[in-house]
Amino acid sequence: MIDISTFKPKTVYVIYIAAAPEKVWQALTDPALSPHYFHGCRLEIEPKVGGDFVARFPDGRVNVKGKVVEWSPPRRLATTWLVEWVPELREFPPCLVTYDIAPAGEAVKLTMTESYSWDVPDALLAGGRGGWPAILSSLKSVLETGKPLGITLEPPRGMMEVVKDLAATKPWLKTL
Amino acid sequence: MDAVFKALADASRRELLDRLRAENGQTLGELCARLDMTRQAVSKHLVILEEANLVATVRRGREKLHYLNPVPIHEIAERWIGKFERGRLQALSDMKQALEARDE
Repeated sequence: MIDISTFKPKTVYVIYIAAAPEKVWQALTDPALSPHYFHGCRLEIEPKVGGDFVARFPDGRVNVKGKVVEWSPPRRLATTWLVEWVPELREFPPCLVTYDIAPAGEAVKLTMTESYSWDVPDALLAGGRGGWPAILSSLKSVLETGKPLGITLEPPRGMMEVVKDLAATKPWLKTL
Repeated sequence: MDAVFKALADASRRELLDRLRAENGQTLGELCARLDMTRQAVSKHLVILEEANLVATVRRGREKLHYLNPVPIHEIAERWIGKFERGRLQALSDMKQALEARDE
């Protein structure tokens, strides 16, 4: 298992959702619900620490894969992330995605944290920074109204060039 | 949503958000070192930004790190910008950037 104490949060997003913590947990872990808010992807998560995590495109191809690092329903879910759909990204070290669900009055405070073990450049983080607000807003909409937002996204311009450059230079191999 | 607009209606608070956009995950000390504001003032502005959910904080050991949280701004954009308008607005924004860069 990876040592998560070496990971530093790089992107932290918070959204308030009018739903019970159990409902938010279910939405994050139920493969039938995820396509409605996660850009059409189906998230399959083995419900135990060390279990497999896979996010699949509607056609079945693997988008992201990883391992479950923390499974504490309905409060905390952490998985490693290895982006599969871009060949160059397969060589990158995994990042850690953590969801914290905290009651906040009648609502829930959902915090998504993307952490890295290496000094990841901003241009790479831009991919998640474009995607997460849409995913979280859509998740909120699904839970509160039963309807997704229907947002389509593409990787930010310039990001793929940065990915190719990093795959060639492998800066994570340098010790921090 | 009122809290978001109130928080954004202040140049110092927008400056703090710009600083976090440039470098996410700063401590109060790091933010103060680069600004012409007292520690108390920065601290007060951060509370208002956190209450508006524009800043998210993470405890890491003894440090409290501050992160820009654009989710409320995204929700405002979703409310008033339709999916068909987004492409045209992006084109206009790109054109403005290209033209203004040429003038520099």
